[in-house]
Amino acid sequence: MDSVFSQVCVLGSSLVLIFGLTLLWRRSVTAYITAFQWQSIVLSGLTAVVAYFGGDHELYLAAGALAALKAVVIPRLLRRMEHRFAAARELQPYVNTPTSLVIAGLLVLFGYAITRPLVALSQLPTRAGMPLAMGLVLVSLFVVISRKKALTQVVGFLMLENGLALLAVLGTYGIPLIVELGVFLDVLMGFLVMQIFMYQIHETFESIDIEQLNRLRH
Amino acid sequence: MIGYVLEVAQAALALLLAPGVVGLIRWMKARLQNRRGAPVWQPYRELAKLFQKEVVVSNNASWLFRAAPFVVFGSAVTVTLFVPILAVPLPFDGVGDLLVVVYLLLLGTFFLSLAGLDPGSPFGGMGASREMTIAALAEPTVALAIFALALSAGSTNLGQIVARTMSHPGAALSPGHLLAFLALFIVALAETGRLPIDNPATHLELTMIHEAMVLEYSGRYLALIEWAAAVKLLVFFSLLGNLFVPAGISMALTPATLAIAVVTLLAKFAVLAGAVAILETRIAKLRLFRVPELLSVSFVLGLLAVTSSFLLR
Repeated sequence: MDSVFSQVCVLGSSLVLIFGLTLLWRRSVTAYITAFQWQSIVLSGLTAVVAYFGGDHELYLAAGALAALKAVVIPRLLRRMEHRFAAARELQPYVNTPTSLVIAGLLVLFGYAITRPLVALSQLPTRAGMPLAMGLVLVSLFVVISRKKALTQVVGFLMLENGLALLAVLGTYGIPLIVELGVFLDVLMGFLVMQIFMYQIHETFESIDIEQLNRLRH
Repeated sequence: MIGYVLEVAQAALALLLAPGVVGLIRWMKARLQNRRGAPVWQPYRELAKLFQKEVVVSNNASWLFRAAPFVVFGSAVTVTLFVPILAVPLPFDGVGDLLVVVYLLLLGTFFLSLAGLDPGSPFGGMGASREMTIAALAEPTVALAIFALALSAGSTNLGQIVARTMSHPGAALSPGHLLAFLALFIVALAETGRLPIDNPATHLELTMIHEAMVLEYSGRYLALIEWAAAVKLLVFFSLLGNLFVPAGISMALTPATLAIAVVTLLAKFAVLAGAVAILETRIAKLRLFRVPELLSVSFVLGLLAVTSSFLLR
């Protein structure tokens, strides 16, 4: 039973990571949003699986909240924003696509390296997925620093949060529900703040290309 | 003894089935696009017709142009002897492992590109240069993806990899296998000239790759090249189907298990052909400059596959 459980966990984590890698090679913002939506669906499914095998009923609630927030509400808001800005395509990023993919591969390797002691210490059947979660965190961080459009950076940030949630679920069978809810609220608030910022940026600069931000407007 | 008979039978089966697989993909694609489509056995008719046609060779072509179809076809047929299609273990497992398979496939590609350059037509040179670009990017990924499996099996021998996955069915769902499957699938599309990379349905278009190289060929030479291309597709389908989901492969070499092996093989081919047909209906061809990006995606997937099967051993 445990081996099935750990297989499913690793499988789910790999899927979550692959959806994260989509950000690096697709160009259309719509594809980013869809990838984020699917990633959240897989993540919430994985949380439910951990809840089932770990016998922790609170985690079901967390999985449900995760699905509602990240697979329905936030993608819808993102799509509305994308529509409003007519920001269909990401500009040429700072690092070109093949290089950033290779860098992402190296970052995942690095994720394996730094989670080694963690995996060695842990007794949980979910431990094999932790390096992949750490890899996703590093890759999303890289997306945030290497892309030019504010909208892409927001998707990168949300994926970073997904990576952290995955790490928490796999590493400790989820944090207490109250903390989990606090985190969700934080994500939503952070997202709304970023949305307002983005509308402001768009209004002032008529573009959400952050390259424009280092020029004074008068 | 029976092993050698089976080896030959397997190669013959691959040669016979290959045009059918191509026809099946074309037919499914036509149905998905609301066309009636040519029947599945249309490629057999085309081959038969081409073998009867006269050969026209350019005045500028050298002996290389005449020799290349035989090298291409010969390398494709030789590969079918080393790839587990119906049964493992087979006597030729000891002769060639996955490296032999990868480089035999590359040998065919190399000669085809030379033949494209040889008559000096502008299309041929263009196709050859594109094919070489793609082959140079795709070849390491093929090796890397199969290495991911070889690492968990502890051997680069394709037969042993299959046997190992058979004895550990859970391993088929490990991240190493899945990532390697995705990587190999993308590369298979690139190597066999399928849609996001090359459009198999076009002729005389500026974006073509495979068709541009074989534009000068006619008659039986063209038939050999087209047949070899079909066999190559079948080889990649067998690698995808049998290395990752080895269920159904005969281990005992009895008639009953062999019959099961043939049936499951056909089912796997049908599933993969369906996947390719759906994919080709859903997506458009990539711009040539985006192809290296797609291939680096598959390279990274292969790299991650090797990493995870190395670290999670």
